[in-house]
Amino acid sequence: MSVKMQQPPQTADERTLSTRSAVGTVFGLEMRQRLRGRAWYIMLAVWFVVIGAVFLLALATMGSYMDIGAMLFDLVVGFVLFFGLLVAPGLSANAVNGDRAAGTLAVLQVTLLTPGQLLAGKWLASWVGSLAFLVLSAPFIFWALALGGVPASEAFISLGMLALELGLVCAIGVGVSAIANRPLFSIVATYMLVALLSLGTLITFGLSTALVMEEAEVTSSYYSYPMQNEDFDDQSPEPQPGDPECITETLVQTVAHTERITWMLAANPFVVVADAVPYSRSTPDAGQSGDFGYVENYRPPGVMEGISQQVRDFQAGPDYNVTCAESQGLARDVDDKFPIWPLGLLLQSLLAGGLLVLGYRRLRTPVRRLAQGTRIA
Amino acid sequence: MTNEFGGIVVHAAARSFGSVQAVRHIDFEAPPGEVTALIGPNGSGKTTLLLILASLLAVDSGSVRVGGIDPVADPQGVRRLVGWMPDSLGRWDSLSALEVLTTTGALYGMSPEERTARAHELLETVSLTEYTRQPARVLSRGQQQRLSLARALIHDPQVLLLDEPASGLDPGSRVDLRTLLRTLAAAGKTVVVSSHVLSELDEIADRAVFVSRGESVRSQTLDEAGNQVRRYNIQAEPMDALAAELSGHGMRFEERGDSRRVEYQVMLDSTQQAAWLLRTLVLADVAVTAFAPAGGALEETYMSLDTDRR
Repeated sequence: MSVKMQQPPQTADERTLSTRSAVGTVFGLEMRQRLRGRAWYIMLAVWFVVIGAVFLLALATMGSYMDIGAMLFDLVVGFVLFFGLLVAPGLSANAVNGDRAAGTLAVLQVTLLTPGQLLAGKWLASWVGSLAFLVLSAPFIFWALALGGVPASEAFISLGMLALELGLVCAIGVGVSAIANRPLFSIVATYMLVALLSLGTLITFGLSTALVMEEAEVTSSYYSYPMQNEDFDDQSPEPQPGDPECITETLVQTVAHTERITWMLAANPFVVVADAVPYSRSTPDAGQSGDFGYVENYRPPGVMEGISQQVRDFQAGPDYNVTCAESQGLARDVDDKFPIWPLGLLLQSLLAGGLLVLGYRRLRTPVRRLAQGTRIA
Repeated sequence: MTNEFGGIVVHAAARSFGSVQAVRHIDFEAPPGEVTALIGPNGSGKTTLLLILASLLAVDSGSVRVGGIDPVADPQGVRRLVGWMPDSLGRWDSLSALEVLTTTGALYGMSPEERTARAHELLETVSLTEYTRQPARVLSRGQQQRLSLARALIHDPQVLLLDEPASGLDPGSRVDLRTLLRTLAAAGKTVVVSSHVLSELDEIADRAVFVSRGESVRSQTLDEAGNQVRRYNIQAEPMDALAAELSGHGMRFEERGDSRRVEYQVMLDSTQQAAWLLRTLVLADVAVTAFAPAGGALEETYMSLDTDRR
């Protein structure tokens, strides 16, 4: 047993660790461990089966709609986002404290690796790990695209936003895992934060509508069959049934000024993705509605498109003038509204960034203050 | 002895965790070119001190210099110099032994060729070449320990901090470890070994620092330890003749029954006195069958400190 003492090509003082190499090494370390474990593959397999089942079921039941490609694409995007929000915390929220529990964190900390590089590598690895789930959904995404009706821009932006949302959730998870001591706690906490974004925003919005209720004069429209002429005689031609006419009336109603509180929905991942996508499908405009208020080529919106329309509608505030066309289900023209998704991304980034900053401070060494009950190594 | 450019100098270090004072007041010196033992009972602050030296933990007060560098002010500078082998067996289960070493080497800023060459070299040093491509989880505890040692050495550190390196090692590996540490010290490295296996340290260490309840209670070189008052165990056939001879020279002895055979224990001031006594006994025709120090030199100091063993 002997150790060679020849001078290494570089002396210790000259060695520096570039950020790229540091992040790459941590990323490689994480990915190697993930690829060699079984858990990740099992999750991927379950994911594939579930998303496949949902897709085929939807394909079978919605076969009658003309715009099925767009509908299915929208559904897959919504579903991938939903399941991605479930998977990403699991992949990210034990990244740092899992190492702490295994006793390998200190081994990393004692090298030239900085806390920021450690967090970046961990985050990148968990993001790529969750992107694999998006990639695995590709067959169904392409299937839906092959059915037609989805412009390329919509497809690209949808997938891009999905990837971005997964990245943000992973950042939240990695941040929490650096702050909390126990993996179980940090995973649950991350799920709670994701639930706060997904459901909490809805609940807050719903409860807040009560605060923005006001009385206002509203013009509303509805279709009605004309009253049968009571005093018709046999000579007059029989009235044709089914000639509805649009009736417009003005009355005072309680309206919700949702435009004041719609920002609360911004941080919702579903809203961010839906709102960012330009839905430029062939939407019939109100002017083309038929004589009887029947809209030609009416197409129900997909899941995500529906969310987008709903949010734009909330943003527009109360509709003081419901036109005849609108009463038939056509969305009113609110496209000029300010897009809400940049605000959503900003809020989510602030949350993720804040957590990462706190996590960074917990990872700084030499440690001055150590949380109760933790050991460094 | 310990200059600006090498070795470890700790003065009045203190560190507490909440209400627990893990390190109260430790003075510690480890010169380059020597193996310094850090000795103390469980929970006496050994691991905490090593964490401080490895720049993972900041001191509350006191001064610490590792290779002349303050680990709080310049942790990166200290990390370039220090190789740290933790007492806990943290490991990346699915990585091969080679990957464990190259990954660590990469994080010390070593180039791919350099770290791969060094990793192979170290696997040979710790006799793990047959596990080069095996995942680390198949390694036994002692093999893990050796891999952990190799990991601490990957960047050829000037200062080596080893926390209980001998635990879990088989006798052959212990001999290897001793040889390796002596080689490193001979090459001018500063080696710090914490342990409570005192008989091991007798042969490895040049000097020892004893800690108890977070305080450094004694610091001595092995030469000093060897020359202090020590207990010797003596056996003879028959024991009566030995007892008579010892009494004749006015030496106090006590009968010890805690080994398999009865033996007498005497206190001797120095090795010279031990040599004199043995010669005297032999010349008096006492059939001496055993004549040996009761324990290692360090053990003697350890016991004499009357620390808080429970």
